[in-house]
Amino acid sequence: MEDVGSAVAWVGAVWLALVLALIVLPSALGVSLGISEAYMWVLVKTLEWATIRIEKGVKKPQPQMLKSPAANGIIERDETPMEKEIAHLHRVDFEFSDIFYFCRKGFEAIVEDEVTQRFSSEELVSWNLLTRTNVNFHYISLRLTVVWVIGVIVRYCFLLPLRFTLAAIGITSMIVGTTMVGQLPNSRENKPQKGGICVANHTSPIDAIILTNDGCYAMVGQVHGGLMGVIQRATVKACPHVWFERSEIKDRHLVTKRLREHVADKSKLPILIFPEGTCINNTSVMMFKKGSFEIGGTIYPVAIKYDPQFGDAFWNSSKYNIVSYLLRLMTSWAIVCNVWYMPPMVRKEGEDAVQFANRVKSAIARQGGLTELPWDGGLKRAKVKDTFREEQQKNYSKMLVRNGSIGSLSTGTESD
Amino acid sequence: MGSAHSVPAEMRELADRTGFTSEQIEHLHRRFKQLSRDQLTIRKENFDSIPDLEFNPIRGKIVHAFFDKRNLRQESDGLADEINFEDFLTIMSYFRPIEMNMDEEQLDRFRKEKLKFLFHMYDSDHDGKITLQEYRNVVEELLSGNPHLEKESARSIADGAMMEAASICVGQMGPDQVYEGITFEDFLKMWQGIDIETKMHVRFLNMETIAHCY
Repeated sequence: MEDVGSAVAWVGAVWLALVLALIVLPSALGVSLGISEAYMWVLVKTLEWATIRIEKGVKKPQPQMLKSPAANGIIERDETPMEKEIAHLHRVDFEFSDIFYFCRKGFEAIVEDEVTQRFSSEELVSWNLLTRTNVNFHYISLRLTVVWVIGVIVRYCFLLPLRFTLAAIGITSMIVGTTMVGQLPNSRENKPQKGGICVANHTSPIDAIILTNDGCYAMVGQVHGGLMGVIQRATVKACPHVWFERSEIKDRHLVTKRLREHVADKSKLPILIFPEGTCINNTSVMMFKKGSFEIGGTIYPVAIKYDPQFGDAFWNSSKYNIVSYLLRLMTSWAIVCNVWYMPPMVRKEGEDAVQFANRVKSAIARQGGLTELPWDGGLKRAKVKDTFREEQQKNYSKMLVRNGSIGSLSTGTESD
Repeated sequence: MGSAHSVPAEMRELADRTGFTSEQIEHLHRRFKQLSRDQLTIRKENFDSIPDLEFNPIRGKIVHAFFDKRNLRQESDGLADEINFEDFLTIMSYFRPIEMNMDEEQLDRFRKEKLKFLFHMYDSDHDGKITLQEYRNVVEELLSGNPHLEKESARSIADGAMMEAASICVGQMGPDQVYEGITFEDFLKMWQGIDIETKMHVRFLNMETIAHCY
């Protein structure tokens, strides 16, 4: 028994030593040993091979392929504006035909809607050998299964303990660790300066880590419970961060006040804010809340885009808690993310906070290759406001009135 | 992952009946589960969770159509309280696009079904006729968002359209004749020669997942 015990202890010691030597020390010193790059290269080759196998497996010919630009949707929406479409049908009489348009729009919305889509993980075009993404893909071949099994072994028996060890080391020194591979920040000269506000699109708590990897920030965010809360409270001890409760209005005013003070002080670290207010699944950018743009000061936009092929970083906080999220993260192949620092923006004369927010949002969406949505991320949790609903009805009735439908109805019967 | 993906018998039967492919059915099933929050049936309240739908002026009628027993091809009349996935698919199938391989008879039936669905949307009291009042209701709903439009204007639009419909269906009416309402046959007559199939469908993307290499 003793032998077993000492053998295990010995293995553990060697493991720890290797981890420290090969990973922790080099990263602390900023030196790269090239292990990550080699790993990525192997991974990409494997996934390419897997993809080719899948392609071969799908032997059926594809007759009418509607061109879908990897759309995260299952229906093709007809983007004809309402006016054009209704005018086209105005030969019979007004309303009977008009109802088609609204009917169809309604059905399209029921089959899929733009907002709910954004809160489920992005669908992959090709399988990346993780069971969790295997929704559309079926059994293809034995070889593929074997590779998958190997993948499971590698991920759970090697990568997971590896990352766990790192995490343990990391958390105890107040950094959450997971293997971050291939971070490619571009245009570094635009990095946020002191006294500025850094805004970025939000996909997961990892965003904050990635950005802080590259510079120091003061953070603003929703207070959480559990492990996340522990980390939050710990970070406050080192640096002045602002954690608040989203639903408390009093809290919000306090936050604005504190942010203003912080920004006014030029020697303080730049503030990092995620104006969407919640995690989105990284295919689009939702409405930016105007609060952060009212404070004044220079805004440094940052676009963050994860490559979904290697691992899905999106945190669906209503579905997974932080620990199961971290587990998923640690058993993925890798997290690859592109970070773009963009030139600073300031509020123009005569522009109000909302317009400014939208301007920044468009810039970030364009840079990151994401689509832009006017919807509020808060819809993840709440319902649409009534005021929005009446908008389209107003448009429609305006159109009818404009067509002079009230004054000049064609009365009488048709001439024979 | 390793198991072969066999199409269960009921799926195939559903596919035959509603005309969707099995991939589309799978997708719709996922959507159904999303809407029903993993329950087996959907109620009216579940449609509240769709933000896009809130915009729609005839939202009420659309949701209503899902629970209308006439659309569900059940013999009875009235409204169902909740619908299961099969019913959901049945309603969805009204919005299927035309396929290349349909023959004359199928096309005709297809068109009739779509028009019947629309007819039910107007005929809210289920009596088989669209009366002036029912028609006014629809117009008012469509125009309800505009505070500047008075009820009177909405009414006159409805009245004028009703008169036109009457003229198509009945021809010249005497001064004392009362037009009771548009029956389904009259409704069909109105739409003769007008292509509605392309307006009343939702195009599903082909769901064969193509593998891409980077």
